[in-house]
Amino acid sequence: MGSLFNALHTSIDAGAVILIAAMGSLLAERSGMLNLGMEGMMALGAVAAVVAAGQLTSPLLCLLVGIAAGALCGLVFGVVTAVIRANQVLTGLALVLLGVGLANRIGTDFAGTPMSTTFSSWPIPLLHEIPYIGRALFSHDPIVYVAYLVLPAAASYVLFRTRHGLNVRAIGENAAAADAAGLRVTATRTIYATIGGALAGMAGGWLVLSLTPTWTQNVTGGRGWVAIALVIFAYWRPWRVVGGALLFGGMISLGFLAQDQNWGIPAPVLAMLPYVLTLVLIVLPAFVPSIRARRAGAAPAGLTLPFYREAR
Amino acid sequence: MYDPQPPDVQNDQTVACADARATVVEMADIWKAFDDFQALSGASLELQAGEIHALLGENGAGKTTLSNVLTGIYRPDVGTIRLDGEQRRFHSPAQAIAAGLGMVHQHFRLVEPLTVAENIHLGRPELPRRLSRRRLISETAQAMEQYGLTVNPTARIWQLSIGEQQRVEILRVLLRGARVLILDEPTAVLTPSEATELFAVLRRLAASGRTIVFISHKLHEVLAVSDRVTILRRGMNVATRPAAKMTPEKLAKLMTGTERVMEAPRPSKGRGKPVLELRNVSARGDRGLVSVREASCTVHEGEIVGVAGVSGNGQRELTEIATGLRHPFEGTVAIDGQDLTARLPGDFVSAGVGHVPEDRIGSAIVPSATVVDNAVLRAFRTGELSRAGVMRRGAVRVFTDRLVTAADVQLPDIDVPIANLSGGNQQRFVARREAWAADRLLVAAHPTRGLDVRAADQVREVVLDRRDAGCAVLLVSDDLDELLAVSDRIVVMYEGRIKGDFTAAKARRKEIGYLMGGGDLVGGAGAEAPS
Amino acid sequence: MIRLQRRLRVDRRRSITLRLAGVVISLLVAGVVLQISGSPALMLGRRAVETMTTPYGMEQGLVLATPILLTALAVALGFRMRLWNIGVDGQLYIGALAATGIGLNVNGPTWLMLTLMMVAGAAGGAFWILGPALARAYGRVNEIITTLLMNFVALQVVNWLSLGPWRDSTIPDLSATRRIPYELPILPGTNTVPIGVIAPFLIAAVVFFIFRFTTWGYEVDISGGNARAAEYAGIDVRRRIVSVMCISGAIAGASGAILVAGTTHRLSSTISNQYGFSGFIVAALAAGAIVVLILVGLLVAGLLVAAITLQTLGLSVDAVLALYGLILIGNVVAEVAARYRVVRTTKPPPELQFAPAEALAGAGPQGLSALTAAGSPPESTD
Repeated sequence: MGSLFNALHTSIDAGAVILIAAMGSLLAERSGMLNLGMEGMMALGAVAAVVAAGQLTSPLLCLLVGIAAGALCGLVFGVVTAVIRANQVLTGLALVLLGVGLANRIGTDFAGTPMSTTFSSWPIPLLHEIPYIGRALFSHDPIVYVAYLVLPAAASYVLFRTRHGLNVRAIGENAAAADAAGLRVTATRTIYATIGGALAGMAGGWLVLSLTPTWTQNVTGGRGWVAIALVIFAYWRPWRVVGGALLFGGMISLGFLAQDQNWGIPAPVLAMLPYVLTLVLIVLPAFVPSIRARRAGAAPAGLTLPFYREAR
Repeated sequence: MYDPQPPDVQNDQTVACADARATVVEMADIWKAFDDFQALSGASLELQAGEIHALLGENGAGKTTLSNVLTGIYRPDVGTIRLDGEQRRFHSPAQAIAAGLGMVHQHFRLVEPLTVAENIHLGRPELPRRLSRRRLISETAQAMEQYGLTVNPTARIWQLSIGEQQRVEILRVLLRGARVLILDEPTAVLTPSEATELFAVLRRLAASGRTIVFISHKLHEVLAVSDRVTILRRGMNVATRPAAKMTPEKLAKLMTGTERVMEAPRPSKGRGKPVLELRNVSARGDRGLVSVREASCTVHEGEIVGVAGVSGNGQRELTEIATGLRHPFEGTVAIDGQDLTARLPGDFVSAGVGHVPEDRIGSAIVPSATVVDNAVLRAFRTGELSRAGVMRRGAVRVFTDRLVTAADVQLPDIDVPIANLSGGNQQRFVARREAWAADRLLVAAHPTRGLDVRAADQVREVVLDRRDAGCAVLLVSDDLDELLAVSDRIVVMYEGRIKGDFTAAKARRKEIGYLMGGGDLVGGAGAEAPS
Repeated sequence: MIRLQRRLRVDRRRSITLRLAGVVISLLVAGVVLQISGSPALMLGRRAVETMTTPYGMEQGLVLATPILLTALAVALGFRMRLWNIGVDGQLYIGALAATGIGLNVNGPTWLMLTLMMVAGAAGGAFWILGPALARAYGRVNEIITTLLMNFVALQVVNWLSLGPWRDSTIPDLSATRRIPYELPILPGTNTVPIGVIAPFLIAAVVFFIFRFTTWGYEVDISGGNARAAEYAGIDVRRRIVSVMCISGAIAGASGAILVAGTTHRLSSTISNQYGFSGFIVAALAAGAIVVLILVGLLVAGLLVAAITLQTLGLSVDAVLALYGLILIGNVVAEVAARYRVVRTTKPPPELQFAPAEALAGAGPQGLSALTAAGSPPESTD
């Protein structure tokens, strides 16, 4: 019993990284920006937090440094694709190479040493004392609560309940129409690319400040890609991302559980489970015609399309 | 430097100004170049309060470009815009909207997955930061009542008919406080009766002091609705005249610069065996909704069957069924008695079917590929051009040269990407290629749309020649005049159904228009039993 | 006034010049960054060139060029259909795994076994991309994400076999399989380069032939250029997607087989030195030109050799990866720049203007001839 709730605790933590990054990708995609460079921005956010941890004592400040690094990458992506209007796919892939390569290069000197500052658990008074479930659900560090409650609620509210969110969605769907209605397409897209980068940086930063908590080479291990895949799985809806992230986290903790309990499954097989799950989540439903149609309808129609006002 | 305005134009303007209405907009000496052509060469436009001003010209004359300059979408290379006598420079549509200039685009600028209410309010500064669904809907309903344009406010745009979408677009512009309302070819997507309704709305708006700019190339309409007409040709003003003093013939002459000799109709030499036989076909459109319903139609050798109807009533899907691009979920498709239901487009090509689709650039041409590769798109599998999976490159080049000559396409080199050709050249190229592919059946959707008069005549010739050679032709067009001029029989499509079957000689516009708008003829005159 | 005007067609020479400039600027930026971070950039550059020009360095370059060129060809083949096979590394690993499986578990004459290993490698690579290919063709699932995620799965599969059932337990601390008893012969005239180095050149020639002369190549090009037009021409685009992706995977898989049979001789999860991403960047920079692809591939291989040998000076495979990203960004920006030109927004000179309105207004045959004399009319729809 206890180990099961431990596994739940781990699932929530492991899912949080994906959740934060996926929310960043979702927001950027809603404005029409598909940044495939999530992996690179996460890696840079992580290494920035690691470097900051050498100087700063507050984990929150380190996280902010990670966020800033990610935001800077996102801004670069925004300027290159929305202002200069370069190809989003190639620019995103370039960011993966640049981000992962640079982060690994900078991180070489830090590899393996435990972090001097990390986030500590922030049990919620009373609730965390509930037997079993209390520890599993209510004794995480503050960023986990932010990831599961504040982020999806805020994203959902802004996108679907405010004028600003309506503008963002319109820009993501049909930039020419939004422009004709007087909205600022390029500025909005650049800002949302930056927000996406900031959240990727936050995911990377939190990963090394809490989950691992140490820098290892390739520490992001494909989580940026999983985040992009989860947005598709979630039909671009914030709350559905939470479900996807929990499933992913569940697979990771299943791996720990299997090792812990000696189920005799080789470690590499367990390590591939989260990726296999992610693939299954996006591939299998696509063969159900109704889901495929729903997915096609949910994707922002202007995703990756550059906007030229004077196009004929 | 010559004076871009011919002297007689200035005379005319002084006559018009005697009308003594206040001038609202004055555009003078507007120049605009795109990469490959000069769209505007010193065009000008003067608009008065409370008038309906038609902007007339052939395709490519610069009507839309001029409007886009006025509404801040394009920035002019040279030229001044004055609003109420004050010189203005718009850097974005937002600034033009704020100044009271609104445009209803030919391809609506609506966000499909959003609701009517959301679209209408999009970009309004008055919109509260926090959205209230209820308030959005009630304000929309209120505005609809005020302007007499009603649409379900909670419907999503993609669920609406084209006519309803147009109403949303007009409302959206009005709600932004437009004093000058520009409508780009608004009647192209409407039935005759919907167009009449639209004109009534426009007159009401003009009576309330707004200025309406009405872009069109349909002469009768222009004369029926407008107070003044400005005619553009090749990016320049030809004339501005009061509509009351004009006739369709005079307008046509100003528009094209020549008097058009209407050719005598070329009747069919008599029809032969049936070629295309559609039996009770039903099919779904791209959105998964049923868009062709139990349609039956037979096209014989040596006849042109015209399909009339407001666009979006299943014509595109019908042409796709007849060419194998879309599979019906019920009914059968046969060519020359051979059942081709649910077969691949390649089988239709082999059966001798040529197809000029509606969206030529999107689906009949590979823009990045060379002229050579585009020329053999339909015929590359034939023994003439390839053998055992290997292309016969020499034969391919000969084929291309012949096609380019036959289509009268001007180009330096057949190895350049076809995207380098102008739209009109591409269209003639596709029409000729498909005519060659069409041994038995030619399916042509709007083959002359967007062409100037001369090019349109050439394409029509190709279609008629094919028929005279004994080929069956299915011709879709939303230009009733064109259908009446070339078809031997006309059927009407409404909401996916085929209604009516007229012998072209006996067809009356009024009856066809009635069917296009959803009416039914109960054994009425002119209707014949489907053959 | 001066403004930027977007052009509909791109001048080839201008595009190449600007893209080269993009690469040079990216290298300069990287040099400045290296200098600031304490590595002597100029010395590094000189040493890199020295490394690449020694006989040993050149042979090493050829050894690394084999998988880089093959993966680049695999990626470039996908590009012909606008498909992104970002999972070449995974296919390479599975190809290597399949070849190792044959090599370790089947006995036979060397030539036969090597052939079998190559076939198994190609089949393994094709198998590894089959899922993403079917999902892309019949479920419209973005192939970038699926092929990339398959990389992580492939790596774990290799980990499992090389650390588990196939592990060489005779040597302590070795996390690799037993040595494969069959080896590719060395290319005559060299000391270390396996014969596999000719594979990319052979495959490039075959690919060139296919796209120049066969209907299949034509169909693939058309499908890549405009899928809707391809369906209209009677081409089964979905089957072309599956076959192109599988061939792409097979080439990547064969490169894995060549790698274990010629160079590493043991399978482990570290046999690829970022070959997949190197191949990707080579294909992206070559933009479809096969000769350029081979040249860029050789250069990138040289760079990688320099990075591996000069680790102490601050270069590393990771630094090269970052450099790839920088070069790619420079390249995409240059591609956009090639699309624009600076124009002065004035009236065009009289000879470029259309016939004056008076000539047109005066209807009749003269008006018409004046019109034709002024050049062909603008026919674009407005």
